[in-house]
Amino acid sequence: MKLLHSISVAALALSSAVNAASSWTFDEATLQVTGKGAEAAKQKITAGSPVSSSSPIVLPASSTLKVILTAQEGKTGKKPHQAFLTLQEVDSGLEESFAFSVKDNGKGKVDVSSKDLPFQFLTSSKPLKASITIASFGSSTPYNGHAFNLKIENDSSSPPAVPSAPERYTNKPEIHHIFRSDPKSPPTIISLVFTLAVIVTLPGLIGAWLLLGGNFDHLGKAFGASPIAHGLFLGSIVAMEGVFFLYYSSWNLFQTLPAAAIVGTVAYVSGSKALTEVQDRRLAGER
Amino acid sequence: MRLPLLGLLLGLLSFVSALSASGSKLLVVIEDEADKGKYSQFWTDLENRGFQLTYRSPKDASLSLFLHGEPAYSHLLLLPVRAKGLGPALTPNLLVDFVNGGSNVLLALSGEQSVPSAINSLLLELDINLPADRTSLVVDHFNFDSKSAAEKHDVILLPSPEFKKGVKNYFSVDGLIAFPRAVGQVLGNASPLLSSVVKAPSTAYVYNPKEEGESVEDPFATGSQINIVSAFQARNSARFTVLGSAEALEDKWFSASVQLPVPGSKAEKSSNKAFAQKLSAWTFMELGVLKVGQIQHYLNEGSQKGISNTSEVASIDVNPEIYRIKNDVHYSIELSEWEIDHWAPFSPPQGDSLQLEFSMLSPFHRLNLQPKAQTANSTIYTSEFKLPDQHGIFNFFVEYRRPFFTNVEEKRTVTVRHFAHDEWPRSYVISGAWPWISGIWVTVGGWIVFVALWLYSKPAEPKVKTR
Repeated sequence: MKLLHSISVAALALSSAVNAASSWTFDEATLQVTGKGAEAAKQKITAGSPVSSSSPIVLPASSTLKVILTAQEGKTGKKPHQAFLTLQEVDSGLEESFAFSVKDNGKGKVDVSSKDLPFQFLTSSKPLKASITIASFGSSTPYNGHAFNLKIENDSSSPPAVPSAPERYTNKPEIHHIFRSDPKSPPTIISLVFTLAVIVTLPGLIGAWLLLGGNFDHLGKAFGASPIAHGLFLGSIVAMEGVFFLYYSSWNLFQTLPAAAIVGTVAYVSGSKALTEVQDRRLAGER
Repeated sequence: MRLPLLGLLLGLLSFVSALSASGSKLLVVIEDEADKGKYSQFWTDLENRGFQLTYRSPKDASLSLFLHGEPAYSHLLLLPVRAKGLGPALTPNLLVDFVNGGSNVLLALSGEQSVPSAINSLLLELDINLPADRTSLVVDHFNFDSKSAAEKHDVILLPSPEFKKGVKNYFSVDGLIAFPRAVGQVLGNASPLLSSVVKAPSTAYVYNPKEEGESVEDPFATGSQINIVSAFQARNSARFTVLGSAEALEDKWFSASVQLPVPGSKAEKSSNKAFAQKLSAWTFMELGVLKVGQIQHYLNEGSQKGISNTSEVASIDVNPEIYRIKNDVHYSIELSEWEIDHWAPFSPPQGDSLQLEFSMLSPFHRLNLQPKAQTANSTIYTSEFKLPDQHGIFNFFVEYRRPFFTNVEEKRTVTVRHFAHDEWPRSYVISGAWPWISGIWVTVGGWIVFVALWLYSKPAEPKVKTR
């Protein structure tokens, strides 16, 4: 009795193990690409072994991919709850599943045309990975396997519209302000040559005056006649240039203007005296 | 005198007991008082974390989300109801107002009972779509719990959620999380405020168990497009979390033993408790809350160049209102992050960065801020840069909006002026100006010599005499 019982338990366990071991799969699977006026290209798919991945199935624009299969639980055709053809974009991992319409005997088919596909699939640079999932409730092992690779060809005259990327909160690329280039000077040597050319004109000018008979011979005579007036006048002219130099180097306008006024007044007053002396010399025929 | 002191004391007390950054009052809307016991571990956990729980039935006449026009609770937990609607106190409009008022909502759905249409239309406001037939649930024939759902496959077991680089993961747990009879959500693509927390595996799909038929032909959503948990953070940083499976919060699943249907997998304890803790902690502002401390900007040139600590220097001009173009400036911002019960130094997740924009209408500079120093509860981020060569009114603008963090938006406006007339380089350092400068001085010299010559020159001897 006990033995019988244990045998029956073992048999039950075995049968449930067999039941559990039954798994979903598919058979008689073909895929075909039908296009306008083109010959339908057929290819067989077998469960568990993908169609060679080196040459993906090409789906031209405005054509349809059709997959036909017979879903099986164990060896018998049966209708599963889930029979999906899943396409995956390899880079982003984006997936889209297409459900097979399956009959009670397990025969199912699905049509996918390129207008059903999201734009990410149409613009993908790599072939899409297509896998077949067949599963249902209960204890049977579900099937999910890579079936084939699919390359989508777009109509070259009307490329797929790519919507602008949706806004996402993330860090943005860095921006470094591009500064306007600094003002440039010509090569220093050229500036130096022209500076030299300008400076040389002063001795040239003085030399020319001396050559024409210019001299300072009446210096003693003038200072002898009115030393204060001449000293202040010549001094104020030099001082005025000094005021200009200080304005250039450090002073502001409000420091410059009073100084220039003082120097100017001195020049005016002493100038009238000094120029009277010059006039005297002219009247004496010494000029 | 006494009253403000009392108020201060009360405020201090409430601060001590409140562990969430935004408040501790939590309203739980539960239809049946008897169901309360199912979630007892979750309630205990929340109470231990400092929340004051109030349980109300949606039919309760005294239930109101608002008091004197302000949200009466900081947080709301909505458990599934059997009724068709949520009643007059919980209309979608009021719930949206509640979120706009700055309160957080954790909405738990269940595939066991049909989802009220009020919830459907509320979620549509957030761009979250639920299956139209309202009784659909998520199944996966590959990742279910073989112990409790060997036949129906409607208890989905998922590992800890993972996010792409640059997004902080507040929800990571060890082990598998069980989501029994989950309602799948599909998120709209347009809104940056929505983020997915837990996605369904790629073999999952949504189906309606009430629908007859042995095969699913037109599923509402498939694969990882289905979200089991999704999160929405409004512009005011209020949070709205949708948990597809309310059952996942039940005591039964906190300590359940679960097993994947894969041969060789072992039974293990579900990590629902840890996940529920993390999900509620994030939703109720215990995690991912950012606070800005001190913001400083100052001139980084001349005597102020390379100052590391502004308090060491006596006469430093911090946060001036005006700068000059091409000034070197130093900017620093102090950021803290709330971690359950204290402020901790904030650091952005791997691959992300805190950015400073120096902008007038559009950014002229956008720079990654570098962590320079750390205090006990904040990190100080700094950047040093040269102001652009454009005068105008500019902003030092730090805008940090990221999924799962509260928003940070800090603007400091300064004037950037042009060079003053005496700030340009002197003409003698410009080599191109040398001929012109020497021209002036040659003229000056020539003038003085001419004056002297005119005044003191003796006429030349008439040449006639020599002839």
